[in-house]
This record gives sequence, structure tokens and C-alpha cells, in this order.
Amino acid sequence: MAKTARERFQLTLEHQDPGKTVVDLGSTPISGISANALDGLRKALGLPEARVKVDEPLQLLGMVEEDVRQALGLDIVGITPGTTMYGFQNRDWKPWKLQNGLDVLVPGDFNTTVDAEGRTYLYPQGDMSVPPAAVMPKGGYFFDNIIRGHVDYDDDDTPDGKADFFDDFGLYTDEQLRNIEETCNDYYNNTEYGLIGGGALAGLGDFAIIPGPANKHPKGIRDIPAFMVAHYTFPDYIHEIFEYQLEIGLKNAALFHQATGDKIQAMQISGTDFGMQTGPYMTLDSYREFYKPYHKRINDWVHQNTNWKTFYHTCGSIVAFLQDFHEAGIDILNPVQCSAAGMDPHMLKEQWGDKFVFWGGGIDTQKTLPFGTPEEVYREAMERLEIFSKNGGYIFNPIHNVQSHIAPENLLAFFRAVRDFNANR
Amino acid sequence: MSILNEISENLQRGKAKIVKTLVQQAIEEGVPAKQILEEGLLSGMNIVGEKFKANEVFVPEVLVAARAMNMGTAVLKPLLAEDGVEASGKVCIGTVKGDLHDIGKNLVKMMMEGKGLEVVDLGVDVSPEQFVDAVQNQGCQIICCSALLTTTMGIMADVVKAAEAAGIRDSVKIMVGGAPVTEAFCQQIGADKYTPDAATAADVAVQLLAG
Repeated sequence: MAKTARERFQLTLEHQDPGKTVVDLGSTPISGISANALDGLRKALGLPEARVKVDEPLQLLGMVEEDVRQALGLDIVGITPGTTMYGFQNRDWKPWKLQNGLDVLVPGDFNTTVDAEGRTYLYPQGDMSVPPAAVMPKGGYFFDNIIRGHVDYDDDDTPDGKADFFDDFGLYTDEQLRNIEETCNDYYNNTEYGLIGGGALAGLGDFAIIPGPANKHPKGIRDIPAFMVAHYTFPDYIHEIFEYQLEIGLKNAALFHQATGDKIQAMQISGTDFGMQTGPYMTLDSYREFYKPYHKRINDWVHQNTNWKTFYHTCGSIVAFLQDFHEAGIDILNPVQCSAAGMDPHMLKEQWGDKFVFWGGGIDTQKTLPFGTPEEVYREAMERLEIFSKNGGYIFNPIHNVQSHIAPENLLAFFRAVRDFNANR
Repeated sequence: MSILNEISENLQRGKAKIVKTLVQQAIEEGVPAKQILEEGLLSGMNIVGEKFKANEVFVPEVLVAARAMNMGTAVLKPLLAEDGVEASGKVCIGTVKGDLHDIGKNLVKMMMEGKGLEVVDLGVDVSPEQFVDAVQNQGCQIICCSALLTTTMGIMADVVKAAEAAGIRDSVKIMVGGAPVTEAFCQQIGADKYTPDAATAADVAVQLLAG
């Protein structure tokens, strides 16, 4: 009997051959698709006309819904608290226009203003009485966080990391837990999809989180370069923040587990980037001092208390960190940026394929997907499938989110590759 | 160890307050400001740049070193002005229109300042016209464009075209960089130099200015 998507996902996570390679688009906010590109894809697939829902405001990602899953043969669904990075819930959808004029739907508390220069501003928790948390330039495709409340501490100061970031992290509310439980039960009981939990339980030092996007009044070290410098100038401050973030993350992991049990099969833990195009962001010593101990603690908790696998997103060249990631208990790596220095797909699969599940890497999103022909996209996707699918441990997905301007023909070629690949297995 | 070596060593370790004190001490000892700048501060930053290129140090280490350099140069600035010491060239830098990402751009700026260049920082979301204006009205000899996104890198072609339209293309060099940018893209749009990292960008700017 043919295996279900959920069974194939589980086999994949256990490094066994699932038969047909598992496919994802949109089960996490780092394996998704821009609302604009999703609209184009829907039309190219001949799906009924419908406004795309923007379920991740920062990157203006579109919600991948059931008709798209069916049309593309997707295998995984994300189970989340339903809360955006800006602290409002994905509900009470209302009309909004992207800058290119496309009509979409956004959450009810997705409140924006536009200034004289055409920049669009987005507000924390939808509260327009406080300064905006994010801005999109005129002609832009997504928001970037605004640095608010940043304090340049003097070298002689002794700032308190927990006090400064106290309002940035909190336990799940009853509403969030209900959302998790209901959506999980719905998908578990009524579909055969594989399920991953979302919530970035311990996104320590994540550039998207440091500015405090959901916080109405952030304070402390919020500027990203200053935060990096603080690892040297105020190491205790960084540890205080991470310790507090982890304390909340561990409690939320337990709450998530109470709400879902082992119906979910993997859990997003972190979206922090440790690599850039040419090499790591930081020294291995810094990773070992500031990040690895916390990663290990939450991964150990997950492995001791659940059957979940731990999902970590990190862009860039991270080859130098792989051994330490493995020692810290990281099971799944995303987005597998093969376009970064040293991230050769053959090397990754041969040397690390038994230690990590690779989730991504299906196409170069800096060159081939945006600028290549459909034939080039198909060829590269097929190559990556051949390399990464051996012996399981691979989830087919582009490298990171599909950007706004990607031609639907290239996306169709990308998914045609996996359909053809799986048809021959 | 000479005081200039001490300045260089402490700068490399990001010890900003010590660097500031040592610069002050060197001034009191009668070391010329230009020598403190070149053999202490810039020498230290140069080593940081080389280590960055070799993947021995990374972004945070460059940031702490640059912070130390800035504290040192703040002390020196009035003396350098008094002595008539000028920067060895003038560059304008910015993240192109539609793009707000500036960590890479700021690293390039720090590295260029570490080579003794004067850098006019145009910030983020910079239009082609603003780059051209910096050349025409502020005497910049090099335009440096940064982009993180595949959606915005195309603006760099507009910068080249704007320089041509303004009749300044022959008198200015245009450098491009950022995660999705490549040598092939640089050639395709008719820019002068692509560099893959901040330290190399600073080296190349110095070479371009030397002719």
C-alpha cells in the first residue's frame, strides 16, 4: 500500500528511504512563498481566483492553502499558535494591497500607514498609538524591522538583559494553545499530512527578533550590529537574555507538547542565521560560548520528552559549525544554502547526510530560480533531488522563501522536477 | 612593545577604552598624529581586514575593532586637521533603492575608513540620483552600491546608467557588492568592480584610487 505523506515524513526524519521524496512549501515561515509569487503560481496552476492571505507580515508571505497543496503534491503542514511576529493573530482577515497593486488579505490587526515618501509602516500588536515596528520602502517587497528604544550603554554600565527583554518573550496564552490544539487535531484526524510545530521556541539572537517587533516599547540593545558587539562588551547581558528566552522556550515547548502530544513530528526551534555568503557570522568559539549550551538544553528536553525532531534554520555558509550543531542535538537543517561558500551539496550529503535531515537546498534562489529559464530550474532541481534524496533524510524545498518576483513558469518547473523524480521511484 | 604596536594590538582585540587612552598617551609623548593614525590605528584595522578575508575573524570582531578605531580617531581628528592630513581618497556608499539592509554596507565603510579613505555614507534606500549627486557635489571618486536582495540588485544597473546620463561615468569608478551580486552581474551592468567581501572592497578601492 502506498505510504501516506505523514508516514513518508516520519521515515524521512528517521533517515530511512520514504520511497517518494517529501515536498514542502509553506509549512514554516522560512520554507514559504511571497504572497505575490503565490498569487502568480495559483493563476498558473489554474486554481480558482482567490485573494492570497498574508500570514507572515515581515516577509509578506502567502498562506499556502489546501488547493495549492493538492495541486503541487505538498506533504507537510505547519501547526502554529497563529500569532505573527508583530504580536497579532492571523484572524479577522481584511483586504489590503501590495505595492504592485495586487489585492490580498491581511490579519485584522495588520495596521499600516504610508508617509509622504511612499514608505509603508506596520505597527506592533496593531497599535497605531505607538511608533511603528517595521517599514517597507516605496517599491519594496517586504518589511524590515525598525530599531526602536535602542540604548547605547557605556562600557562602565551594567545593563540587565532579562529586564530589557522581559516583554519580548512570553508563555503561550490560552487562545494560542487552543489554536495549536485545534489545528493539530484537525490536520491529524482529517488529513494524512506530515505535521511540524512552529513557534521558534529558542530563536536566540535572531536578527528578526532582536529589534522586538511585537514589543510596543522595546528597550536595551536593539541595534543588530550593537547586539553583535555586545557579545564582547557585555557578555553577561547576552547570556541573561538567552537564559530568559530559553526558560520561556522550555516552558512553551512543554505547553506545545501538552496541546499536541506526538501528533506533530518535528518542531521549529530557531531561525537564527549563523552563516553569511562567504563564511560564518561569528567564530566557533562564540557559538560554543553563547549559543551551543542553550541549543543543547532545549534539544535535550525535546529528545527526552517527545518524539519530535528539532528543526533549525540558518542561512549561509555553516560548514565549520556542523559538528557542533550535531553535538548540540540539531536534527534538521534548513534552508541548506548551497550557494554559500563551501556548501557543496555532494559534500553535505556524503559527510553529514546521516547526521542531519536537509530541508531545502532544492534550487539556488539567488541565481537559478529568479534569473534562470524553466529548463535550468528543472535541471538544477533534479540534480539536487538526485543528490539529497539518497537514503532519505531530505525534504524538497527551495533555498529559503520564494521571493516576490519569481516567474510562475520557474516555480512550475521546480515542482515538475519533483513530480517526475518521484514518478520514477 | 612600542605604543603604536600596543594601539594596533588593542584595536584588534576591540579594547576601545584602552585604545583611546593609548592614543592620548602617544599624543602626549609627542608622536605625530599622522603616525599614530597610520602605524597604530590603520595598521591594526588592516590586520583585522586580512583576518576577515581569511575567515579567521568575523563580523562581530570587525565591529568591535572598528568601534575601537573610531574612539581612537575621534581623539586624533582635531590634530589631523591642524596638521593638514587629508584622506587618501573619497568614496560614497549606500544600499540601493528599495533595500534597507546595511550591515554589509557598514562593514565596507568601516574597512574603507580603516584604509584611510573618507567615506560619505548615503545610508539605505539610496536612489541612483543620490549617488550621482554625491559625485558631483561632494567630489566622491568611487560609488559603492550594496544590495542584499535579488529584487533590488537590478537598481545597480540604474546607477551605472544614471552616471552615464549625468556625464560623469568616465570620472568615477562604480563598485558593487552584496550577497546575490556576482562578477558576471558586475560585467553585465557595466560596473567597474565586484568584490565578495568588505575587506577586499577596501583593498580594491585603494587600488582604483591609485590608478
